[in-house]
Amino acid sequence: MDKNVQEEQSMGIIKFTPPLYKQRYEFVKDLVGKYKPKKVADLGCADCTLLWMLKFCNCIEVLAGLDIRASVMKEKMHRLSPLPADFLQPAERSLTVTLHHGSVAQKDPCMLGFDLVTCIELIEHLEESELRKFPEVVFGFMAPSIVVISTPNSEFNPLLPGVTLFRHPDHKFEWTREQFQNWALETARHYDYSVEFTGVGHPPTGMENVGFCSQIGVFVRKHPQTSEFLQSEKPTEAVYKMVFKAVYPSLKDEKYLQNAVVSEVIFTARIIKQSLLYRLMSGHEEYNERKSKFPPSVNCLSEDPGKLVVEKSMEPFVNGNMVYIPLTTIFSFPKVNRLCGTFEKLCKLIAGKVALSSDGSAVIFSTGHKEN
Amino acid sequence: QSCVPPSVSEEPGGRGRQKGPQRLPQHQRLQLSLGFQELSVADRGRRCRDFHDLGVNTRQTIEHVQESKTGSSGSLIKLTANYFRLTSRPQWTLYQYHVGYSPEMEARRLRSALLFQHEKLIGKTHAFDGAILFLPKKLANKVTEVLSRTRNGEDVKITITLTNELPPSSPTCLQFYNIIFRRLLKMLNLQQIGRNYYNPNDPINVPNHRLMVWPGFTSSILQYEESIMLCADVSHKVLRSETVLDFIYSLYYQVEEKRFKDTCAKELIGLIVLTKYNNRTYRVDDIDWDANPRCTFRKADGSEISYVDYYKKQYNQEITDLNQPVLISQPRRRSGSILQGPVALIPELCFLTGLTEKMRNDFNMMKDLAVHTRLPPEQRQREIGRLIDYIQKDDNVQKELRDWGLRFDSKLLSFSGRVVQGEKILQSGNVFDYNPQFADWSKEMRGVPLICSKPLDNWLLIYTRRNYDSANTLLQNLFKVTPSIGIRMNKATMIEVDDRTEAYLRALQQNITPETNIVFCVLSSSQKDKYDAIKKYLCTDCPIPSQCVMARTLSKPQTAVAVATKIALQMNCKMGGELWTVEIPLKQVMIVGIDCYHDTLSGKQSIAGFVASLNQTMTRWFSRCVVQGRGQELVDGLKACLQTALREWFKWNTYLPSRVIVYRDGVGDGQLSTLVNYEVPQFLDCLKSVGKDYNPRLTVIVVKKRVNTRFFAQWGSALRNPPPGTVVDVEVTRPEWYDFFIVSQAVRNGCVSPTHYNVIYDTSKLKPDHIQRLTYKLCHMYYNWSGVIRVPAPCQYAHKLAFLVGQSIHREPNLLLSDRLYYL
Repeated sequence: MDKNVQEEQSMGIIKFTPPLYKQRYEFVKDLVGKYKPKKVADLGCADCTLLWMLKFCNCIEVLAGLDIRASVMKEKMHRLSPLPADFLQPAERSLTVTLHHGSVAQKDPCMLGFDLVTCIELIEHLEESELRKFPEVVFGFMAPSIVVISTPNSEFNPLLPGVTLFRHPDHKFEWTREQFQNWALETARHYDYSVEFTGVGHPPTGMENVGFCSQIGVFVRKHPQTSEFLQSEKPTEAVYKMVFKAVYPSLKDEKYLQNAVVSEVIFTARIIKQSLLYRLMSGHEEYNERKSKFPPSVNCLSEDPGKLVVEKSMEPFVNGNMVYIPLTTIFSFPKVNRLCGTFEKLCKLIAGKVALSSDGSAVIFSTGHKEN
Repeated sequence: QSCVPPSVSEEPGGRGRQKGPQRLPQHQRLQLSLGFQELSVADRGRRCRDFHDLGVNTRQTIEHVQESKTGSSGSLIKLTANYFRLTSRPQWTLYQYHVGYSPEMEARRLRSALLFQHEKLIGKTHAFDGAILFLPKKLANKVTEVLSRTRNGEDVKITITLTNELPPSSPTCLQFYNIIFRRLLKMLNLQQIGRNYYNPNDPINVPNHRLMVWPGFTSSILQYEESIMLCADVSHKVLRSETVLDFIYSLYYQVEEKRFKDTCAKELIGLIVLTKYNNRTYRVDDIDWDANPRCTFRKADGSEISYVDYYKKQYNQEITDLNQPVLISQPRRRSGSILQGPVALIPELCFLTGLTEKMRNDFNMMKDLAVHTRLPPEQRQREIGRLIDYIQKDDNVQKELRDWGLRFDSKLLSFSGRVVQGEKILQSGNVFDYNPQFADWSKEMRGVPLICSKPLDNWLLIYTRRNYDSANTLLQNLFKVTPSIGIRMNKATMIEVDDRTEAYLRALQQNITPETNIVFCVLSSSQKDKYDAIKKYLCTDCPIPSQCVMARTLSKPQTAVAVATKIALQMNCKMGGELWTVEIPLKQVMIVGIDCYHDTLSGKQSIAGFVASLNQTMTRWFSRCVVQGRGQELVDGLKACLQTALREWFKWNTYLPSRVIVYRDGVGDGQLSTLVNYEVPQFLDCLKSVGKDYNPRLTVIVVKKRVNTRFFAQWGSALRNPPPGTVVDVEVTRPEWYDFFIVSQAVRNGCVSPTHYNVIYDTSKLKPDHIQRLTYKLCHMYYNWSGVIRVPAPCQYAHKLAFLVGQSIHREPNLLLSDRLYYL
């Protein structure tokens, strides 16, 4: 992917491919890939596009957005809700997404404990008084490990057609690289962060001296926060209003774990039952031979039911018109194993949900499979 | 042709719909401004048809129902229905504005963003689709101009012009209500799948079948007889907790290698899948076995990327199996939008939804599901009440409603319906009543001679060696049951064949003579290919009635006699016999039933079954069907059918009918106007063409089985299904239509579903009461069921015929068969 600017000479219009806002979001995404933060907050999250992109990052367990304009957040916030598929196949990780209505000039305890805080094209919208309070709120109070701040580079503005004063009517200022860096260095020094500067939106050839279209500062806290005590020493009243909360289904939640285990146990048991009845009716050599022809890339069912059953000395059996499939056999299937961890956990989770033999050691089915 | 994965969009979409490219061509942008009229805003960028047939005002053309369209007979019954009144403030008005941009802005998102830079002016409560803006308030000026600035610093002049002040019942308002209601459902965190909304937080797991059932709601807001109401019903979405890849693997374990790909195609094509990474559903149209996730496609910006990399980058989705095939989905073509290429989907990233044909035939599975989905009246009403509860209890929802000045009633609508009296069943001089609660007279007709029986003098019984016993038992049982119902029977010519299709066909070719009355085939199991071949041969090349039965059906001793009786009746009808009738006071009337079968899987053929009565007692029917070729209109064929039906009628009665009443089934949502504007005139034309002095009265009634309306009968403090014969023609009908509901059948489990009848054309001058009664009578006349059914018999016959032709025969059967119910 080429992040260079395309200059359409004839029209004198500068066009970025991909668009500049996407490049800024990609930058954040790459940063998340690199540092693997668990808790991420986006200040000035607007229509939640960045949050939406970040929800796909597997390392993130808590995502929070903050904006001063609730209506803009609300318009598209539902795309942060879990999808049907998230319920059908709950993820390993837990994820909670919240949106808050409030100002970055105010402290709220809900913003504590984050690993990464992003402020993408935010600061230029702040009034002078707000900008003054901003470093204390973000660096002093929230004090995450990493802060990313992006803002327009005013040196680039002459290359943008139609921009006379600022790029957007709501901008209160736009800084040159020097202005931004001075502010950033001073802030970093004061709150004991290190800062590096970069940006997105390369200038056209020959104009390199103006710098990136969007300038970015990445702040990293120099000393790891020692303990939770620091946070509890900052009793603050909640001032933000939560406008959205979505808790994604996760296997960490017993309810979803139980569903997943029960479903997997029954499915596995049925496969074993089928292969058992199949082998009882015909020669099992033929069965195994056919399976071995399966494409090598099989991942989801590579645990060949036939083979496993033979290897372990815990064979399923038929007694009368019931098929008994020992739980130990089922537990030996990687998927079940991975879900439960321990055999005890398996027994606990399926208790009362799956028909078991009287001693509770095997799943039972009736053999009458074609009676209708 | 290269396929692309679905374009990136986080918004829920409908089946197989793609969002347009970023830069819309001119004509598509123009369409945007029509957005609201087509309910587009509801789904942000996708357009749907008018599913409610708004604006088709047929009642105004029917003179004799201008004053009243209600019937009178029967006893009153207290009913509640799944409707809630929508009320608005007095003098409520919705203000509609047109929003123009100078210079033109194309992206809808940008248009919104620019407009809402002026939230102070517009206010927090609004609905905007990119061109039309709805507000609950009137702006100070008729035309307001404001300036906004884009991210690129471009100044844009926005002109907001008041175009309409809408009263609560205007059609635009109705669409607006539906949009707002969808917004509310979203606020309640319900998930949109297709047209309905589901609650994912409390799924019902059916682990035996790897199914998950989501409870949800279907809803629509419309102007009904007296008021604007929300019709809400419980809906269940069956989802499967396995991916298409899982499914392909399990198929691989189940079938032979050489049939594997075919089986996959058969099972998967036509299914709706749900993608893992966004909330979209697609219909599987093909499986590309030559492709795999490593294949590349060209992105909109021109760069090449493989599916694996694309999904990794875009959605962080790992594709683990790199050898899986790729599913192809053809976007549905919609008028006005540009044709888009097929979409490629990765099986591992798609979940299956709904049930396959095989699952539907799995009795145990359906039983396990029915426990959760078939709700008895009390429970159904409770579930529906939950929706209103959610609405009343959620603060955000209440605020949104308040901001717009709207409110929903918290109680189900209640009113009175009528239960018309049961019919007397007439059979060869015998008259009997049936228990109205069950609407079934199979017991009563036992041992009563039929109106007209056809002898089994000369008939073939074909079976395989394995099924000899079944065939023989059947023969003995037929000898037992036929005398009492008056059917004369000789021993069949018994023919044993190998269990191969060719063997059956050869036996038919060698043994059928001009004297053969009927052919009986015992099949080993549900072998569709054999069944199809036999039916095809005996319906087209060699027109002889035939009866195919599975050996298993015959083999259960406890039901053998009952089955034999049923088969004897069925064979009698197929040969042109008549079973029973009801009293039909209307004279010289020809009843027509039409239903359609759409072959969605293979040929994309449509078939219309056409059935017309031949006699006064409605015991004999003339049946034809139309096999619609490509680019042909169904109605042309229907016209020809009507012509021959009139000719046949003349042959039977020596005069022409003075009234023709058409029951038209198989009309999809949103197709009503086509019917009114195109099909009805064709029928009229056809009648006119018969003769100068021939001017019969025509009535056309659209029959709809799939409606969301439910009625509950109050029975003390409990709720029950309304009894068969319940007629509703008030409150929940539509003021612009001459329509009514009838509950004609009885159900054992769950809630009964009423049938909706909409008289779209009527010069009969018959009172509504008479039309209602006649309709109910006709529901008694379906010979394959000794009870009352959901639709008038001719519709069910037409359905049966169209289904047989669509499934097995694929071309019009021989007309020599057209005077009997050979397709039963």
